[in-house]
Amino acid sequence: MQIRTLLFSSPLLSILLALSILLSISLGSISIPAGDVLSVLFSQIADTPSSVDPAMTDIIWSLRVPRAVLAAATGAGLALAGVVMQASVQNPLAEPFLLGIASGASVGATLAILLGTGSLPFGVSGFAFLGAVLATAAVLLLAGSGRRISTVKLVLAGAAISALCIALTNFIVYIAADAEGMQSAAFWTMGSLADAKWRSLALPIAIVTALIVYFLSQTRTLDVLLLGEELAVTLGIDAARKRRIFMVLLALLTGILVATCGIIGFVGLVVPHAVRAFTGASHRRLLPAAIFSGAIFLTLSDLLARTLLPAGDLPIGIITALIGAPLFLKLLFGGKGFGGNGK
Amino acid sequence: MREITIQNLHFSIDGREILQGITTRLPGDRFLALLGPNGCGKSTLLKHLYRVHPIQEGSIEMDSTPLAEIPLRTAAQKIAVMGQFHTVDFDFSVLEIALMGRTPYKENFEEDTEEDTSLALEALEMTGMAEARNRSFNSLSGGEQQRVMLARCLVQQPELLILDEPTNHLDIKYQLELLALVRALKIGVIAALHDINLAAMYADRLLVLRDGRLEREGTPREVITEEMLLTTYGVHAHVGMDSTGLPLVDYRTESAL
Repeated sequence: MQIRTLLFSSPLLSILLALSILLSISLGSISIPAGDVLSVLFSQIADTPSSVDPAMTDIIWSLRVPRAVLAAATGAGLALAGVVMQASVQNPLAEPFLLGIASGASVGATLAILLGTGSLPFGVSGFAFLGAVLATAAVLLLAGSGRRISTVKLVLAGAAISALCIALTNFIVYIAADAEGMQSAAFWTMGSLADAKWRSLALPIAIVTALIVYFLSQTRTLDVLLLGEELAVTLGIDAARKRRIFMVLLALLTGILVATCGIIGFVGLVVPHAVRAFTGASHRRLLPAAIFSGAIFLTLSDLLARTLLPAGDLPIGIITALIGAPLFLKLLFGGKGFGGNGK
Repeated sequence: MREITIQNLHFSIDGREILQGITTRLPGDRFLALLGPNGCGKSTLLKHLYRVHPIQEGSIEMDSTPLAEIPLRTAAQKIAVMGQFHTVDFDFSVLEIALMGRTPYKENFEEDTEEDTSLALEALEMTGMAEARNRSFNSLSGGEQQRVMLARCLVQQPELLILDEPTNHLDIKYQLELLALVRALKIGVIAALHDINLAAMYADRLLVLRDGRLEREGTPREVITEEMLLTTYGVHAHVGMDSTGLPLVDYRTESAL
């Protein structure tokens, strides 16, 4: 018990995250010694000259660092989305990808690019947010909100909305084959961090950080929501209102992440589930541990995606799905539960 | 809280009237038992008091303030509810569940203090669950879970405790213990009960509901009569007297055998 608590404490996880990011920056088609990486990071941040070759500096600072940072922020955001969504609908299978919310966001994002509103500030992200909100509303209506939502209805509603939205996304990508800035179908359906640049990082990082702070202030509410809406009301929490606020914020988060790096599935399922086995259901411990673990998980997944094949980048969604799908099956057909030990 | 005033309360779901005009005053410092056959509206009435059902028609006031004007958080500091809860597979420990009773007193980011923990442990001690404090709530039996939920109510330090069929999963031993414990708290209690003899033993006043109407109200001796058992519950029974002079229902009449 003590070792478990220590293993999933924030100080240890933040060290692991720093190491993962360092590893991810130094490994790749060209391997760079960790010492050079640290030297470049230091010189860039402190604005001092560095002894490292300028071409190498460019690879590190303009390509690998933003990519690793985006991976960490996206992983943290996806894990956060999974934890909050699971508490909000009281179902351990809830996750933006499985519920079709990420696919809804991709329809919005591709539509924005097709219509040319992508050049407006927040154009793509704004449309992705709208798409995510609509998909969320559709799934919750289909699954029957209000009462505790049954797993079967939730998964089926998510699958239906997801299939519809992915078809729409592919259709838009197909007819807009050469629209400026339109990513490939693979980008929207399987995700990629390959286009990470410093200037595209600000918005996702700002949103992820703000929502992490907000939800860390809501850990009691999340705990109480797990006990059911009625009990939450008797403890002074307006459960229906909180749930609405949470779902809108999650749609915003999902929209931004999808607009930035496409759909990356299963992270919101795998990470909270694995972390709960160590921390239990209490969000005061679960939430920070899941956020760190999500960041570590996606940083390492991206490293795998970049290095697994000599030919080049795999879509990162393939890696996360290969890890996530078996767990999804286990949760669906095995004992479902919010605990590590289930029932 | 001194008094809850209910005026002409109506409630219907899908065109079916569950409450058909309830008007009464409930003293906030007594043990009140709500009786009536299944589907008579006991739970629905209680759910209005603890704000799960919105008021459709009529009014409820607590100490002359309309219920809807009292913030949920303020209400939760005064009223604790032990309801019929569903079990999700959540892996909370017993102590964590008990500590949730502090929710209405906590701000965002505020951690549980040692005082909170000792309050929770004290409450668990009272309900006989202190030794299980580190166990997973899931691993407990239904009756044990209910005793943890009662401890959680006590941690809320309420002025009024609402018990919505609290003895559901409990053996008779724990039913008696629970009701005696609640009675000893000297706070207001409103409990929906199935067992008429238990209601007679512990409650100061009884309210009898049938088909969404308040049929009778009074002391156990006034309310528990052979005629009431026949008209309200449709059973022939003999009402005698126990050793302390309280009414005692004996269902072994000739027609039942």
